[in-house]
Amino acid sequence: MVTIVHPGNESVPKAATPPGRLKSLTGKKIGLLDISKPGGSFFLDRLEEILRTKYGAAEILRTRKPTFSKNAPPQIIEQLRGMDAVVEGLAD
Amino acid sequence: MPQAQTSPPIPGLQPGKKAVVVFFETDCPTCQLALPYLNSLKQDSVQVIGLSQDDERSTREFVSQLKISYPVELDAGLKISRAYDPHNVPTFYLIDENGQVQRTLVGFDKQGLNELAAALGHPPIAPADDGAPAWKPGCSSRHLEPEAQGTEQKNTQENGAKMLRRTGDPATRITLRDEEDHFEYCRQKFGDALPVIPPTIEKVEAMVKASGLAPEMVIARVPPFYGEATVEKIAANAVMAGCVPEMMRVLLPLMRAACDERFNLHGVQATTHFAAPLVMINGPVRQELGFWSKQNVFSNVARANSSLGRAFQLVLLNIGGGRPDGIDMSALGNPGKFSFCIAENEEENPWEPFHVTRGLKREQSAVSLFAAEPPRGVSEHTAPAGKTVLETISFALATVWSYRTCLMPEAIVILCPEHVKTIHRDGFTKEQARQFLFENTGIPVRHYSKEERAEGTQLAANYKEITVRGEKCYQKFRSPEAISIFVSGGTAGKFSAVIGSWSTGPTGSQMVTYPIPDK
Repeated sequence: MVTIVHPGNESVPKAATPPGRLKSLTGKKIGLLDISKPGGSFFLDRLEEILRTKYGAAEILRTRKPTFSKNAPPQIIEQLRGMDAVVEGLAD
Repeated sequence: MPQAQTSPPIPGLQPGKKAVVVFFETDCPTCQLALPYLNSLKQDSVQVIGLSQDDERSTREFVSQLKISYPVELDAGLKISRAYDPHNVPTFYLIDENGQVQRTLVGFDKQGLNELAAALGHPPIAPADDGAPAWKPGCSSRHLEPEAQGTEQKNTQENGAKMLRRTGDPATRITLRDEEDHFEYCRQKFGDALPVIPPTIEKVEAMVKASGLAPEMVIARVPPFYGEATVEKIAANAVMAGCVPEMMRVLLPLMRAACDERFNLHGVQATTHFAAPLVMINGPVRQELGFWSKQNVFSNVARANSSLGRAFQLVLLNIGGGRPDGIDMSALGNPGKFSFCIAENEEENPWEPFHVTRGLKREQSAVSLFAAEPPRGVSEHTAPAGKTVLETISFALATVWSYRTCLMPEAIVILCPEHVKTIHRDGFTKEQARQFLFENTGIPVRHYSKEERAEGTQLAANYKEITVRGEKCYQKFRSPEAISIFVSGGTAGKFSAVIGSWSTGPTGSQMVTYPIPDK
């Protein structure tokens, strides 16, 4: 019998329940988060247009991380609070 | 602002004399970084007093290990801490002749320390270029910890204070039955695809003992999962990688360096790019622990290099969660993710060693980290002149990140002994060699097309035009400092190497250099 020391991360991640899916986008507030990669705005510009014209979104909030290489700072997350849905735009 | 006159007296404080009082905890990395700076305050005109929030034994060890030269007292029962109520440690109070607090400084802040010194009519005490960061946040003060307040929140998952605690939980013990293949179990659960040595209690204890620290002390929180790297867990990974116990002396500052905010390990571990942290070792520790700096320096040549590099990668994998089949999304990866540790061949380097250029003293052992691509070789066996050797290297430098991308990339030039000898013989100082590479690395403007979009072309309006060998070029690097020179390798063979960076600067990863404590 051999006893070893656990060499890994033993913390248990806190489970979060994702919000229910939206049945419709009409009249909803949608956040669009640009992660600051080149080209992200092309994708999000088009998405904003579609959300407004085709799906009747009431409000689009555009925001941008200072850099794609780090976590979003708390003030960006705070800005997005209260949105019905958020789309995080990758790029490249 | 606390009123010192109504607080319990600070032991040793003489009335009628200005004083700097600093509250600290012995296991707080920021306190360990900050407190030695006060040694250089001249104590004839000002009193310097350290107030420890910990017990006598750990305080005595702290003072002796960090060579603190001013009086340190214990804040028994945290009474003085409660009166002054610093939210974080270290907190420095400048107290005037009447016992009133004139100025407060929280955490480690070089500018703040220099302002504190200036307020005492003293020259700066925190040099900008000594390798330590300009700023580092501290830990929460002991008297504000849930344990000190007597609440029952201690160690619950919900407790936000857990993110800042200095003492982690003991690692779980896993008992393996005799009929089980212990090596196979460890390889599958905790390996880097290769077999590892099972981290038995005895082996881990020997490793912890060599560190001289408590097993549950948290050294760093390793991104992207921010797992607590306790001394014991780091030791277990060091055992698995095949390290000798003395290697803890290097592995612990290496973990602190890797988790320095400037290095941005979170991004390095999760990027789709090739980046892997390249570990560079300098100073006497090379001889003391057997780090290799000669032929085959990037290869499987020495236990010290290979086992330290591997232990580090295993910590990133097992505690940080950067699994190559999961969170680590690198498109092609990097062979350096097995182990990527080199030492400088200071004996063949005619110039100052790398860690001296980074601001440390020659006799100080040091570890530096760079978010690196794999090395690309540069052969130059024909050029007789140092200038031509540098030119050849500049062609390789032009290709880092992507040929037409300028300004963002950085690079390390690994100069082999034969090349550095030629360059030095022709009169180049280290600074001049770097300046030459900076001025002569350019991408011909004719390689950029306005019509065809390609990486690097879209930003060309920001690039600086220079003339290189009579041709209009964009300058590859933003400054000479974007190029580092490191001398390494064997004395036969005119092969140097260029190592490109990941994303750099404050929005990417910045190179870090940490001192390794003396033997």
